[in-house]
Amino acid sequence: MRRRDFLRLCGSSILAGKLLVRDLWAKEPSVVALSEGTDYMQITRSVIEALGGMKRFVKSGDVVVVKPNIGWDRRPEYGANTHPLVVKAIVEEALKAGAKRVKVFDNPCNEPRRCYENSGIPAALKGVENVEVKQMEDERYRKVKLNGVALKEWELYSEATSANVFINVPIAKHHSLTRLSLASKNVMGIMGGNRGYIHRDIEEALADVNVAVKSNLTIVDATRILMNHGPSGGSLKDVKILNRVMASTDMVAVDAYATTLFGIAPKDISITVTAAKRGLGEMDLNKIKIVKA
Amino acid sequence: MSSEQSEQIPSAKRPNWKLSSSRISQLIFLAVFLVLFVMTDYRGQDEITVAANAFFRANPLVLVTYVLSTMGFTWLLLPGVLMFIFSGILGRFFCGWICPLGTILDLVTGWIRKTRPLAWLAGNLKYYLLITLLFAALFGVNIAGIFDPIALLIRFMTFLLYPLFGFAVRQGWVGLYTVLGDNRDFLAGTYGFLKTYLLPFRETFYPLAFFSLVLFGIIIFLERFERRNWCKNLCPLGTLLGLVGRGSIFRRLPTRLCSDCGDCKEHCPTAFDGEIFQKSNCITCLNCQAKCRFKRVSFKLGFAKKPPPAFSPARRVILTSVASGFIVSKAFAFRLDSADRRVLRPPGAKDDQEFLKKCVRCGECMKVCPRNALYPTALQTGLYGLFAPILIPRLGYCEYNCNLCGQVCPTGAIPKLPLQEKMAAVIGTAVLDKNHCLPYGRKLNCIVCEEHCPIPEKAIRFELSEEVDYAGKKVTLKKPYVVDKLCNGCGICEFVCPIEEKAAIEVFPRKPRKR
Repeated sequence: MRRRDFLRLCGSSILAGKLLVRDLWAKEPSVVALSEGTDYMQITRSVIEALGGMKRFVKSGDVVVVKPNIGWDRRPEYGANTHPLVVKAIVEEALKAGAKRVKVFDNPCNEPRRCYENSGIPAALKGVENVEVKQMEDERYRKVKLNGVALKEWELYSEATSANVFINVPIAKHHSLTRLSLASKNVMGIMGGNRGYIHRDIEEALADVNVAVKSNLTIVDATRILMNHGPSGGSLKDVKILNRVMASTDMVAVDAYATTLFGIAPKDISITVTAAKRGLGEMDLNKIKIVKA
Repeated sequence: MSSEQSEQIPSAKRPNWKLSSSRISQLIFLAVFLVLFVMTDYRGQDEITVAANAFFRANPLVLVTYVLSTMGFTWLLLPGVLMFIFSGILGRFFCGWICPLGTILDLVTGWIRKTRPLAWLAGNLKYYLLITLLFAALFGVNIAGIFDPIALLIRFMTFLLYPLFGFAVRQGWVGLYTVLGDNRDFLAGTYGFLKTYLLPFRETFYPLAFFSLVLFGIIIFLERFERRNWCKNLCPLGTLLGLVGRGSIFRRLPTRLCSDCGDCKEHCPTAFDGEIFQKSNCITCLNCQAKCRFKRVSFKLGFAKKPPPAFSPARRVILTSVASGFIVSKAFAFRLDSADRRVLRPPGAKDDQEFLKKCVRCGECMKVCPRNALYPTALQTGLYGLFAPILIPRLGYCEYNCNLCGQVCPTGAIPKLPLQEKMAAVIGTAVLDKNHCLPYGRKLNCIVCEEHCPIPEKAIRFELSEEVDYAGKKVTLKKPYVVDKLCNGCGICEFVCPIEEKAAIEVFPRKPRKR
C-alpha cells in the first residue's frame, strides 16, 4: 500500500466513523431516506443512494449480513415477510460496493424450509454470486454476555455478530404484543434459544440485543404493510399496499417514522420508547431529517 | 445326501454376484424404494407426486385387511388389486422380484453362517398368523401392518436408520466446525447438496425406534437358520401371495427334487420342503432354472392337469384362526382414559376407530411431516394402536399450509384433503391453563401463542386488563382466550409456549363423550 493510499484510507475511515457511529455526538440530525414507487428494487436503491450510497457502509472485501424477516410460511403478498425484491436490491448494492460475501438468513417461527421457500427470497437471489441464503445452523449460535437490563446473556448467531456490516431489513407490520414489529424487533431473528421467554420484558430485552449487535444500516420494507393480525397475518384484507421503502443509519429514527404509516405516534410504541431511552437513536420526529429520494 | 452334494457343488452360502433377471429387478426395485423413501419429505414442493407409499398401495395384504376391516374399498388401493390379480397369475413373484425386504435378506444372507432350520417355524405357523390377522381385521381390528414386511422395513428406516444416518453426517459437519470454524465453509456446497437431496432436515428420534430395530433384527437373525426364513415361514404378505398364487398358471417342472441331483434344494431360497416343491413358497426367482446342470427345470404356462392339491392350511388352521382372530380382536381392547386423553390424530382423521382400521402403521406420515409432529404410539391407545401416528404438539405442530401426510398416506386413513379443507380440519382444541399462563398466573405479558396462531382471524385472542402488579405499578395485561369455533388444534401454541415447566396452553382431542 502506498503512503498516499494509506493516508487516504485513514482519512476516509475517520470520516466514515464520524458519520456512522458518531451521528449523535456530532449533533448531526438523524436522516431517514424515503422513496415511493412500484419498482421495489429501484426505490430500495434510491434510499441507499440518498444516504450516501452503499459504499458508505460496505468496504471492499467485507462480509455483509442482510437480515430480512423470513419469519412465517407466507407468500410475499401477505406482508408477513420482507419483500424479496427489496432484499435483492440490497444484496446487489452490497456486492457492487465490493462485499466479498453477502449472507442472508433468519430464524423463522414456522417450518424453516417452508418459510424460506415461500418468502420468495431464495428464488429472487438464485444465480447471484457470492450470496448465501442458508438455513441457520445450531452450532453457530454463541452465548454472548449482554449484561443488559433484561438479559444477562443470550445465544446469538455468530455469523451476524462477526459480520463487518449488519443490514437490518424488517417489514413494517402489526404485532399483537408490541403493536408494531419494525427494525428493533427484527433482530430477534439472530437470537437462538427459548425466544418466547423475552416476551415477558420485550422492550428491555430487544434493547439489550440491539446494543450488542448494532445495525449499520436499517432499511424498512413498507412496500405493503400488515395492519392487523400480525406478526403472522394470513389475510390479504389486513394488507395495505404503500409502495414505500425507508432507510436510515439510525434504527430508532426509521422505526419512529415507519410508525406513522400506521397512524400511530412513536411514543405509543413501547419498544421504540425504550430503544430511544437506551441511546439507540432518535425517536422525536421533529429532530429527524426526512429526505425524499 | 445333501452333505455329499455340498462338497461337489459350490456352496450357496457365498453370495453369488452373477446377476439373474430377478436379481436385477430386485436391485432396481430396492433402489427405487430407497429413492422414494428419501423423497418422502418436504423438499420445497407442496405436492409429493411419487412417494414410498406406492409399495403399500400395491400391497395385497394392505388391500385385503382394509377391505375386511372397513367393509369398503378405496381407489387408492387399485394397484393392490392389480398386484393381487397378477399374483394369481404369476405366483409370488413380488417376493422374488420386488420386495425390498426380501432383497435385503438376499444381500445379507451370504454373510450369515447357517445352522439347521428351526422345525417349529415350519408348518402352519404362518397360516395361523395370517388368518388370525385377516379375521381380526374382519372383526374390526386391523393390525396386519405391524407384521407387513414393507411397513416393518420403513418403520425401522424412519424411526432409527435415517435419523441415525442424518445425525452421524451432521455430527461430522458440526465436528468440522469445532475444528475449522468458519473455514469449513469451503465444503458448504457439498454439504448443502447432501442436505437438500439426501439428509433429513432435522434428526428426530422416535419412540419405539429400538423396538423397530428389534423386529427388523429378528428377521435378519432368522437368516441364521435358513435362507429367507421370514419370507418362507412367517411373512403374512408372502403367505397371502402364496395362497393367491396357488392357482397360478406358471408351473414349475419337475415338481420334486431329481433323485440323481438335488441341487435345486441348494439353489432355491424358499420352495423346497424336503423333496417336494411347494408352489405356494416359490418366489419365482428362476434360480433353479438358470443353474440346472441338466437343463431339466422349466417354468411352463398352463394349468396343472390335476387340480391343485388340497388347501394345505387345513380346516383346523382356519377354525383356530377364526377363534384366535375373534379373541385377538377384543383381548387388547382396553384403552386407559388418562393415556387416551391426549391422543391427537393427524389432520382429517375423524373417528379414531375408523382411523385405526385404515392405518397401515407404515410410518410414511411421520417420515414426511416437515415439523416432526407425528410420533408412533407405543401403548397409549392400547395394543391395537401400536405404531399408529399421534401428534405431540410440544415436540412439533401441524404446519398450517402443509397437507403432506394426507398425500402420502397409502390408504387414506389420513385423507388427502385440499389445503383449504385441511386448514379447517379439526385435530383438537387448545385449552388454556391459567395457573401456568403468564398474564393470568404471574401478571406478565407474553401472548406468544396468539402471535403464532396461523388462523388469519386468530383462534387465540386476548382481552386487555388493567391491573396492578406486585410492585404496585399499573400494568396492562393481554390475557389470551381460545375461540373454539376457529381453533383447528394445530398445536403451534403449545409448541411455542415459552413456559419452561409445561405448556400453559395444550391441545386436547374433541371427543364425543359416550356417557
